[in-house]
Amino acid sequence: MRFQDPRPDGRAIVYARIQADPLVDRCADLLADATTAERILARAVMNGESTDAAVWRRMFPSLFGGSADADASPQRARAEAILAASLAVAERGEQVRSQFRGAIVEALTERLIARRTGPVRRERRILFDGVAAEIHPYDLTVEATGAAEAWDCKWGARGIKADVLHQLDDARRHAAEDGERLIAGLVVFDARRSCEVRLVRERGASGIAGVRLVALEGLDRLAGAARPATAES
Amino acid sequence: MSTSIATLVDRTLTAFDALTAVAEQVVDETQYITDLGLVWRGRLNAVRAARGSETASDETISAIDAASSEVARIVDPHRAIDWLSTLPQVALVALDEAT
Repeated sequence: MRFQDPRPDGRAIVYARIQADPLVDRCADLLADATTAERILARAVMNGESTDAAVWRRMFPSLFGGSADADASPQRARAEAILAASLAVAERGEQVRSQFRGAIVEALTERLIARRTGPVRRERRILFDGVAAEIHPYDLTVEATGAAEAWDCKWGARGIKADVLHQLDDARRHAAEDGERLIAGLVVFDARRSCEVRLVRERGASGIAGVRLVALEGLDRLAGAARPATAES
Repeated sequence: MSTSIATLVDRTLTAFDALTAVAEQVVDETQYITDLGLVWRGRLNAVRAARGSETASDETISAIDAASSEVARIVDPHRAIDWLSTLPQVALVALDEAT
């Protein structure tokens, strides 16, 4: 098993510009330390219609209401920062924000994995002797001998599709055939329930056990941490 | 007059149904939309069964109303599908429930 950069294409060049946008870094930095409720806020705002911050503050009283931490607290400041950054994404317009959202999930995942292991690399293919190369690179890889990982990142559960699952299955199977250890999975910035519904539809109820899925509520597992849904960092 | 958690769950489900109607324009995703409805309605109904008689706070009422108004603005069916996942999560956070 070995890793390789993909051939650059037009899509990759355009997407690299989005990945390098400071707003992507800002969102990923904030979301890496966010609670589950704050991540749900970000998902809602980045996919919402309203660009009025007051609407979103009203919708999330646990983050912004009277029962939330005092206005001057670090937690309140972080929630406000996440709201502002998410609105900045939403205001980019439908097509652009769609690309930003994907880039943000990748950057967030990269940060979380890097807290546990590394180095984390982007857009890499995995090659196996005697096996035709996969078409699509993995969003993120860890290429440590004996502890390799490959992750695909999705904004929503609808990104869980048969071709994505097949590629992950193939990588795991070929790695096992080579006597290598490879963790291959999906990171989805969406509710676990919705992801499981999608997986069951794609794979059948008995097929989801083999899929390593990290959904929005469990993102901190990527960093090797288990955090209660309402806990503050 | 006080508003119960059951009433807020019902408001959320009404908004969810309207969202479903928009989402169903994406014919290829009919089964996924149906499945999402099954699991999220089940989760919200479980909240109603457990806490339906509780009186909701003004902040929670306002949060559910804001979420319902937000989804009522959605006309893009693909965005509606995304919100079939997001709306229940937003409502559960507002109701101080595990997502």
